[in-house]
Amino acid sequence: MLRPALLLSLLMLQANPPDFGVRTAKLKNGMKILVQEDHSIPSVAMYVFYRIGSRNERPGTTGLSHFFEHMMFNGAKKYGPKAFDRTLEAAGGSNNAYTSSDMTVYQDWFPPSTLETVFDLEADRIQNLNFDEKIIESERGVVYSERRNSVDASNPGLLDEQLTAAAFTSHPYQWPVVGWAVDIENWNMEDLKHHFAVGYSPANATMVVTGDVKAEDVFALAQKYIEPIPSRGLPPPVTTREPEQMGERRVTVRKFAQVPLMMAAWHVPESSSPDFYALQILRTILFDGDSSRMVSRLVDKEQIATSIRASYDFAFDPTLFQVNVQPREGVALDRLEKAIYEEFDRLKTGAVPDLEIEKAKNIQLARFYRQLKTIDGKANALGLYENFFGDYRKMFTAPDDYNKVSRDDIQRVARKYFTENNRTVATLVPDKGGAQ
Amino acid sequence: MKRLTWILSLLLCCASTLGAADATVKLPPFTRVQLKNGITLLLMEQREVPLISMSLIVKAGSVADPQGKEGLAAATADLLKKGTKSRSSDQIASELDFTGGTFEMTGSIDFTSGNAEFMKKDLRKGLDLMADILMHPAFPQEEVKKLLDQNIDQLKSAKDRAASVIGRYYYAYLYGSHPYGRPTGGDEISLPSITRADVEKFYETYYVPGNLILAAAGDFNPPEMRQMIEERLGAWPSRNAPPVPVEAPKPSSGKRLLLVDKPDSTQTYIYIGNLGVARTNPDRIGVSVVNAVFGGLFTSHLNTALRIDTGLTYGANSIFTQRRQPGPFTISTFTKNATTGQAIDLALQILKDLHEKGLTDKELQSAKAYLKGQYATNLETTNQLASTIASLEFFGLGPNDVDSYYSKVDAMNTAEAQRIIKQYFPLDHLVFVLVGKASEIRPVAQKYAPKIDQKNITQPGFF
Repeated sequence: MLRPALLLSLLMLQANPPDFGVRTAKLKNGMKILVQEDHSIPSVAMYVFYRIGSRNERPGTTGLSHFFEHMMFNGAKKYGPKAFDRTLEAAGGSNNAYTSSDMTVYQDWFPPSTLETVFDLEADRIQNLNFDEKIIESERGVVYSERRNSVDASNPGLLDEQLTAAAFTSHPYQWPVVGWAVDIENWNMEDLKHHFAVGYSPANATMVVTGDVKAEDVFALAQKYIEPIPSRGLPPPVTTREPEQMGERRVTVRKFAQVPLMMAAWHVPESSSPDFYALQILRTILFDGDSSRMVSRLVDKEQIATSIRASYDFAFDPTLFQVNVQPREGVALDRLEKAIYEEFDRLKTGAVPDLEIEKAKNIQLARFYRQLKTIDGKANALGLYENFFGDYRKMFTAPDDYNKVSRDDIQRVARKYFTENNRTVATLVPDKGGAQ
Repeated sequence: MKRLTWILSLLLCCASTLGAADATVKLPPFTRVQLKNGITLLLMEQREVPLISMSLIVKAGSVADPQGKEGLAAATADLLKKGTKSRSSDQIASELDFTGGTFEMTGSIDFTSGNAEFMKKDLRKGLDLMADILMHPAFPQEEVKKLLDQNIDQLKSAKDRAASVIGRYYYAYLYGSHPYGRPTGGDEISLPSITRADVEKFYETYYVPGNLILAAAGDFNPPEMRQMIEERLGAWPSRNAPPVPVEAPKPSSGKRLLLVDKPDSTQTYIYIGNLGVARTNPDRIGVSVVNAVFGGLFTSHLNTALRIDTGLTYGANSIFTQRRQPGPFTISTFTKNATTGQAIDLALQILKDLHEKGLTDKELQSAKAYLKGQYATNLETTNQLASTIASLEFFGLGPNDVDSYYSKVDAMNTAEAQRIIKQYFPLDHLVFVLVGKASEIRPVAQKYAPKIDQKNITQPGFF
């Protein structure tokens, strides 16, 4: 049972960095393994994080990381087509995976007795993934359908894609993780083989296991199944840096819709930047909860939006702070836009009252506890902090890092990033008549 | 970009279909007391993280909405937080956000449910706020109007995404005038007719102690927790609500098809099915085991045929949604316009094969291991535990519903599966709802029913 508050206070008393109940090991082939035991339910979560995502792609093969993620379930040497899912299900386990701009992440959830089977399954596909032309064609259809569902059939999905493409001119964050439709049509087996060779060395991965296991058992199985897999090269570093944006960019999308949409995004630094925590506190003050400044003003008082929210996600490279708004019907979009900028400007000029900062920190603390409620949440969070911040301990010290954010920090980051020149604005304009 | 988003959402909405192969799973012990005013209180001590989760049930949902006022139960739930006799909507939001806590009431079909969560250090503050919201809502006129206007806008926004509204069209078309056919959140016609007086009347009638279940799970001492709750909710005058009878719905007869035209669609969204089972049906575990093989798992017959073998879709699945009375059985998938007919034909073939060939012992054993292996993760968090015990209380089920899960799953065999297929999986009588580009898919849609109904997605209402 983990008691973070208690562990945090212990931090002060110890000379050596505390492990927060997490055991770590590094295999000879370079893969790092994190284990946190939690015996509250008879269940285990295993996450494998590969540091390869759409940012490692190039024009013509965008979406390949995500397509490859699908192919990881389509057969290797010992476990052929369909066998990964069937074997795991028959042993009481389930799985999933996700791809982002930065990483490809594989997840298994299973009863403790299935631990060795899962190692066997994972080792087989990491080492000996197989590609079959017929399966590639079928899976291409699956991913295309996924794209139609998340972009064609989702106005926010479509507008987000156009906004991001306009906000970045050079950095690979400009293309969608699922890939452009035409690229989905064109990937081939050579692309997949190249991706496997480049991104799937054990040294390019972190494994996290949480739940009803003994750390020694996990390490022993990792040595048996994973350690013999030879290390290969790492993906070439992504050296492109997005040049400073020197003027506002605006994007319009016209399509059949009943209601308009608006999004705005500003370039902000990567997760490991010292400004990360201040920007998250800023985001909380403006957007988290019904009493936040934006929600209270736009949704409740002025009633010019039905919803407004902002995202600033973990990223290896400088990324976007993005605001998504659902305007109320009949409201002039320029009025809405002006109200949003006014709230950012208030942070630049006025001091945020202590109580509001304390509220934001409380919200972050509650969020910290919530992610620890499930073994699944712990596995994901440990892996994300280990990769994006370089140390899983940053997950446990996050409440402290948020506490250190001062009123001046908030004002400073508001002034630094939320400028007109640094912003891209996208609107979806309903075309109620012409559907063609 | 998840590989299996659809299957995750399926698991979330069907807590009773999941299951560890190692040992049996038992519901942790909890105490049940009836407060003097009639509130049913359930308390489960769970000290893993310093949080307390609460789950509330008010025994009236959209089934209690008057005809023409669909959405009233849901609007009443949403409006509770919009001002009390002593706190403004703003104050409530600030106080709640300040604690980092959450408290939401949501109208659903059979009942209205609430979820609250507070850090241990803020429990008293949280309970004060919750009690005020539950016992003294003011329903200010301007807040009522604001919420209803916003709901209408949100409905239009939802209709811009087929996947978010196809269920509402399907329930309306399948259940017709039965209360389960009503859109829980109302529609463009019903919402403007709801008045503050309607909301107040709904609240006065149904939000009474005799109609309330309150379950708490988390980092507390049960006697202290009981006292804290009694100090706050004990003063609520004792009263009972009239029962909300829901008669058994009649299965749909023959083949019927509703085509909802959404002219910008590149993909058709498809629901096919008929009535399924009630939450208290003694066969429900058997039904969920068979359904796991047919359409519940990633390797199910449906997903294998429509996704894995043919690449027609990102996902195909089936679900039995359990309610007080039989909820819907739904086969669902989506595919590009040009393969709409191919996907429906294949889904119907898989259903026919289920009736003709049944399922193999190997498939059955695998599904049983899977359901048992995953079951424990439904009972992991304090939110899940609080909501499980509240829901068992509402449906008149005991802890045995959880404790006997493994043995009921184990009891399934192929002969029993055959009986369940014949009894619960429709074959000849089917309802189809398609949301897509009518100008392209109407000729195909006509194959599946003698007469088809058509609606434009911009038309008000759902059927």
